[in-house]
Amino acid sequence: MSNQLQSIVKQQQEQTQDNSSNTTDENIIQLVGFIVGSEEFAVPILSIQEIIKPIEWTKVPFTPDFVLGVFNLRGNVLPLIDLRKKFNAPNAEFDDDARFIVIKVGDDLAGFVIDRLTEALRIEENSILPPPDTSRDAIIEGVARKDDRIITILKIKSLLKTEGE
Amino acid sequence: MIDEMQEIMEDFLVEAFEMIEQLDQDLVELESNPDDLDLLNKIFRVAHTIKGSSSFLNLDVLTKLTHHMEDVLNKARKGELKITPDIMDVVLESVDMMKALLENIRDTGSDVTDDININPVVAKLDAISNGKPIESATENSSPKEEKAEEVEVANEEKDELTEEDYANMSPEEIEAEIERLILKRQEEDKARREAKKKKEETPSNNENNSNAAESKNESSPTPAPAKAEPKVEKKETKKSVPAKKVSTVEQTIRVDVHRLDNLMNLIGELVLSKNRLIKIYNDVEERYEGEHFLDELNQVVSSISIVTTDLQIAVMKTRMLQIGKVFNKFPRVVRDLSRELGKKVNLIIKGEETELDKSIIEEIGDPLMHMIRNSVDHGIESPEERLKVGKPEVGTVELKAYNEGNQIVIEIADDGKGMDPDVLKQKALEKGIISEKEADMMSDKEAFMLIFKAGFSTAAKVTNVSGRGVGMDVVKTNVEKLNGIIEVDSTPGKGSVFKIKIPLTLAIIQALLVAAQEELFAVPLANVIETVRITLEDISTVEGKSVLKLRDEVLPLVNMSDIFKIEKILGVNQYLYVVVLGVGASKVGLIVDGLIGQEEIVIKSLGEYLKGINGIAGATIRGDGRVTLIVDVAALMKLAKETHSHTIITDSIETKKKKEKPEDYVILIVDDSNTDRKIMKKSIEPLGFTIKEASNGEEALQILKNDSNIDAALVDIEMPKMDGYTLAQEIRKYNRFKNLPLIAVTSRTTKSDRVRGVEVGMNEYITKPYTPDYLANVLKRNLKLS
Repeated sequence: MSNQLQSIVKQQQEQTQDNSSNTTDENIIQLVGFIVGSEEFAVPILSIQEIIKPIEWTKVPFTPDFVLGVFNLRGNVLPLIDLRKKFNAPNAEFDDDARFIVIKVGDDLAGFVIDRLTEALRIEENSILPPPDTSRDAIIEGVARKDDRIITILKIKSLLKTEGE
Repeated sequence: MIDEMQEIMEDFLVEAFEMIEQLDQDLVELESNPDDLDLLNKIFRVAHTIKGSSSFLNLDVLTKLTHHMEDVLNKARKGELKITPDIMDVVLESVDMMKALLENIRDTGSDVTDDININPVVAKLDAISNGKPIESATENSSPKEEKAEEVEVANEEKDELTEEDYANMSPEEIEAEIERLILKRQEEDKARREAKKKKEETPSNNENNSNAAESKNESSPTPAPAKAEPKVEKKETKKSVPAKKVSTVEQTIRVDVHRLDNLMNLIGELVLSKNRLIKIYNDVEERYEGEHFLDELNQVVSSISIVTTDLQIAVMKTRMLQIGKVFNKFPRVVRDLSRELGKKVNLIIKGEETELDKSIIEEIGDPLMHMIRNSVDHGIESPEERLKVGKPEVGTVELKAYNEGNQIVIEIADDGKGMDPDVLKQKALEKGIISEKEADMMSDKEAFMLIFKAGFSTAAKVTNVSGRGVGMDVVKTNVEKLNGIIEVDSTPGKGSVFKIKIPLTLAIIQALLVAAQEELFAVPLANVIETVRITLEDISTVEGKSVLKLRDEVLPLVNMSDIFKIEKILGVNQYLYVVVLGVGASKVGLIVDGLIGQEEIVIKSLGEYLKGINGIAGATIRGDGRVTLIVDVAALMKLAKETHSHTIITDSIETKKKKEKPEDYVILIVDDSNTDRKIMKKSIEPLGFTIKEASNGEEALQILKNDSNIDAALVDIEMPKMDGYTLAQEIRKYNRFKNLPLIAVTSRTTKSDRVRGVEVGMNEYITKPYTPDYLANVLKRNLKLS
């Protein structure tokens, strides 16, 4: 898992070097991209506490099916949310690329299951488009374009909210 | 320097609040023993100390109030004034005002506020010390008089303090001032010691005074200054008591609660690690039996576990407070209440020294207050009624606390009118809280518990004391939040007894680990009454619901898997395990699929995201690092009543089809040698069994996990990746494979190999070479095929 992080950091450093020549850092957002189902998503890199390989978890009754349960992260009990189920992605098996992304919002921590990581992204703030009207608006911050890919940026705060689920 | 002032102010507030708490109690006690000079002196001292400190801190309003209180108390202790209930009312009122002022100081840093007007109270106090009737005092207090008084107070202050504005003082000046005060204090101490000596020489002094107080007429007060000399003497005599206290105070330090909480959390982690260490030791012990290093390891593990336990207890103790801290409020409450209701009530408090965790102390105050109010309001009858039924005019409410095992019991007993279970049932019926049928089935104890139902109040008319809608149901919820239970017993005409049982601490509890299908849950041991093993035949059906007759009780039965909607994958065994849970008077039998054992667990919250899940109180991390959910027994029992139905047992039986012939069975052959697998296959396949193959333990485990139709496994011992022993161990970890026949087929023939096989859970042990018939027979025997 630390390799993964290291490679992301490395990539980022490279990107920083690439970009520093032509743009100022002020309105650049740094994100970590990942795949859930067939779509690419991203969350701000600073909201991520760590990324780990899947470990064992415990089911919790009376929760929606995308809440897999809770898991033990070095003595802390964290909820585990399967983004693939939440986004109705068909593939719900764990292969070697699957990861738990541990995201921190304020004092709350939670793990999110994703299919695989893509890369660390640096995206200019004004190139981010508002979410399309029809979509799961509450949890989408915006949509960004990178090369030929469309990346959905998730709203961290809404990911950890229980209401409406 | 401002910080220093701030510090002094904070110390003053802490001290003042503590003293006032004591003051309340002492005053109420004084009312019943108006001639207790010791008490009077104690009370006078408190007023005096607060006056002194507050004038030092420039708190003029507070100083003025306490000054007048002091006057009244001074008269009283010199016997010039007899404390009547009316006077006590005024004194208590001024104590309340003192509290309000102190709170204001704490919040705003000043005692000047528009909300609190001390003048009426001051006027009343004046009237008392001047021997006038209180009622007229409020009118008499003309503004002129007020002003004069203020000047007087200000003068007095000037006497004590040469410099008023401490905020503008230089550090040197402050130091000088402090020096001066210390010097003054030392002189006082000296005087006090001398006075003490004097007191010892003339022990009868006090008695004479109290006798004098008794004989003195209330209506003949003499001006205070005239008696100045005896006043000084007595005051100093009494100061010897706090002098003793000071020496104990020096041995304590105040610690921020957060630090203690933090420490407690760390200990929690340590307990988890200790559990894990013990588990690892047990694993290692099995594997390397007889090796020398085991002894050493054992010693280390046990010493760590002893130290951890001691440490845990030690830290727990630092968080313990005496319940007296809560109880102290009640004499005043009972006194005010009984006066308001025109009842005569004597409150007896026992076991104030019983200790409880700070967090529990903080939470238990309100429920207790409510219950005591309830006892006085609903329990104790009016004096006339009491006399009519031949009871003493004064009712008694007894509040006591004591330890009982790992729990604290708080008992509130009254000798009032008691409760009639039938009346309660009738009331509950009228209000639609229970049905007729439920009422018939109800035991007396259950009927008493009705008073804790929301919307239930037996008081015919709503008083401002109790019965305001929020009632005993809130009490019950609060107590249950602390993992506590309430028990009620009552005899009509004789009185009622309420028992609150709460655990000593909230963070670490003893729990029973149970399995519902493959999932483990921790049930707080405090709520487990017993566990029993029953057979299907023991279950009877009453009105379509499953019940268990246990001795002379009938318990409703619920399957844990049904409550938590866990998919049933296990077959039904001949035996069922039932955990009998109790909260208050109600009991439920919880059917579980396995009893794992008792363990000490550390409660962790599920966090903001998953909070408030019905039936789950939190989670804990076990020795193996897995998370186990902790059951909220009270909520679980509520859920149990909703899920309670007769289908609970039979559900999974029907899904399992009957198996009679070899063709119905699937056998897994695990061996790394292709040849060996072929030999085994040849021996049993002709009989009609379906065969699956695996070339090592890991593969076999995968097949088993994904295909629950395997009926038996033939297992070689020596295999790559995972050997047969480990495989068997892993398989037995799953509840659904608990009874899966495992047959070892191996060339290892020593006795210790066989013993090992039995230990890890093998059902049979066949040594190679074997005859095909023998293998087939062993297999058939294990599948119970004839």
